[in-house]
Amino acid sequence: MLLAAVLSTLIFLVSLVLIFSEKMNRAIVAIAGGVLMVGLGKIMHFYSEEAALEAIDFNTLGLLLGMMILVAMLEPTGFFEYLAVLAARASKGKPIRLFVLLGSITTVLSMFLDNVTTVVLIAPVTILISEILGVSPIPYLVTEALLSNTGGVATLVGDPPNVLIGSAAGLSFADFLIYSLPIVMVVWAGALFLLRYLFRSELSRRPRNAKAVMQLNPAETLNHPKTARQILIVLSAAVFFFFIHHILHIAPSFVALGAAAVALVVVQPDINEVLKRIEWSVLIFFAALFVMVGGLEASGVLESITGLFRGASSVQPVLFGVLLIWIVAALSAVVDNVPITIALIPVIHGLGETGMDITPLWWALAFGAGFGGNGTIIGSTANIIVATLSEKTRTPITSKLWVRRGLPVMLATCAIASILYTILYRWF
Amino acid sequence: MEISKYMKRHVVSIPETSTIREAAAVLVKHHIGLLPIVGKNKKLIGVVGLRDLLALELPDFINFIADVDYVHDFGAVETTRPPAKTLDKSITSLMNPAISVPEDTGLLRVYALMLQHQLHDMPVVSKDNELVGVASRVDIGAAILSAWAKVE
Repeated sequence: MLLAAVLSTLIFLVSLVLIFSEKMNRAIVAIAGGVLMVGLGKIMHFYSEEAALEAIDFNTLGLLLGMMILVAMLEPTGFFEYLAVLAARASKGKPIRLFVLLGSITTVLSMFLDNVTTVVLIAPVTILISEILGVSPIPYLVTEALLSNTGGVATLVGDPPNVLIGSAAGLSFADFLIYSLPIVMVVWAGALFLLRYLFRSELSRRPRNAKAVMQLNPAETLNHPKTARQILIVLSAAVFFFFIHHILHIAPSFVALGAAAVALVVVQPDINEVLKRIEWSVLIFFAALFVMVGGLEASGVLESITGLFRGASSVQPVLFGVLLIWIVAALSAVVDNVPITIALIPVIHGLGETGMDITPLWWALAFGAGFGGNGTIIGSTANIIVATLSEKTRTPITSKLWVRRGLPVMLATCAIASILYTILYRWF
Repeated sequence: MEISKYMKRHVVSIPETSTIREAAAVLVKHHIGLLPIVGKNKKLIGVVGLRDLLALELPDFINFIADVDYVHDFGAVETTRPPAKTLDKSITSLMNPAISVPEDTGLLRVYALMLQHQLHDMPVVSKDNELVGVASRVDIGAAILSAWAKVE
């Protein structure tokens, strides 16, 4: 059994390193790792195909798929560009106002929609707005990525770790609004002020042509206003049902897939076009990771990690939670936070079986995974996206710049979260 | 109908040692859209087009946003020039591989190649790859259409 544990750990660690080094696509790594894990499990009799299927959390996959379908339908309507253009006009070309408005829009969108999609759609318009103003797009792009990471922590559907944690811990959408949202609001304000300070010299430069943004016509950004309206109504209904899903005893995935179904029936888009915009590689990455971590669990590795933590948990529970925030944050800054979250969920469940109160630990995990991603240019997919996009411009965002601007934000957000966590510990 | 009969023999070209700034000046002076780049003995090395130079002036957002209808004023972009550092770079940094035809090529084949490669002007070379002429779409089109007068 020891050999099984060592070998399965090896498969998982090598996969993590490959994902981290970006030498290979993460979905490919996960598929290969998952298959190796099942193969090893079959040979050494600790894991099977049935167990692998059971390890996949279909609630998470369903929720992600449902939201992806809704976004895939909303994307071509031009709604995201519409919002960014409205922000630009409302800012009247004043940099700080534009900074706050674009940051806020990105935050609110990424509380309900996938961060990646939000950033993918807002960042190009941001580059446009900066260029016609004659200012550097970097402060706005970095801020959008960081605030979408931060805002996503507030809700159950805001970012993938939350979806995973909510599903594993049985936390409802309302739980996130009660326990996470207030803390995120404070953390978010802190991040915004810090970014405003870090980019003070860029934001104090007067745009060369502030009037140009007033010539942007929001109405012309909407290619299909009627479709946009229909999907937004369905999305609002979905958010309403998210609020009460625990009362109705329906899973969030059912709400998301239900909303996707209604939107598809109402709009009746070209389904192949919609499906092309679904990020299948993300869904496959998740499913394969579940299979891999299921193997880790079956081989007894996670149990030993739980054992290690048990020793540590003799320390103050509050301190343990704060430590968890920082450990997860540090890991999430350098590796994808999804495998970290998926691997830690059974560990925390294991701690629960020893009689420990694990509810606060779920929140610590969510905060660490969410805010930790701010630290490096590869810390979150949103960061990677703005960086890759900016590489194709005359003003690329370098990883050095991210260390100077993003790392302070990660440290500050984790610090504020830790303080609030300590103060509000009894409340969790 | 061979291309050599219809091409312009007076070809404006620049040596490979030129800078981007010099290339732009030549394009402006002669009001042309394509500039062949030549090495020793007028050997054709590559071409640079108006479009390659204008790309330096285009804003970055053009690469990300397909629909610019809603942008009624390009604002600061309209008055942004490429930095001097860029303009003083060698023209070879913008050079495209030369697509050319030999002097005895038929007109329709030249025209088809221009459509395929989206060219407005086609350099014509001798057997030793020496630049001897250039033909525009109008030169070729007019030559082809002129034959229609004789159709009965």
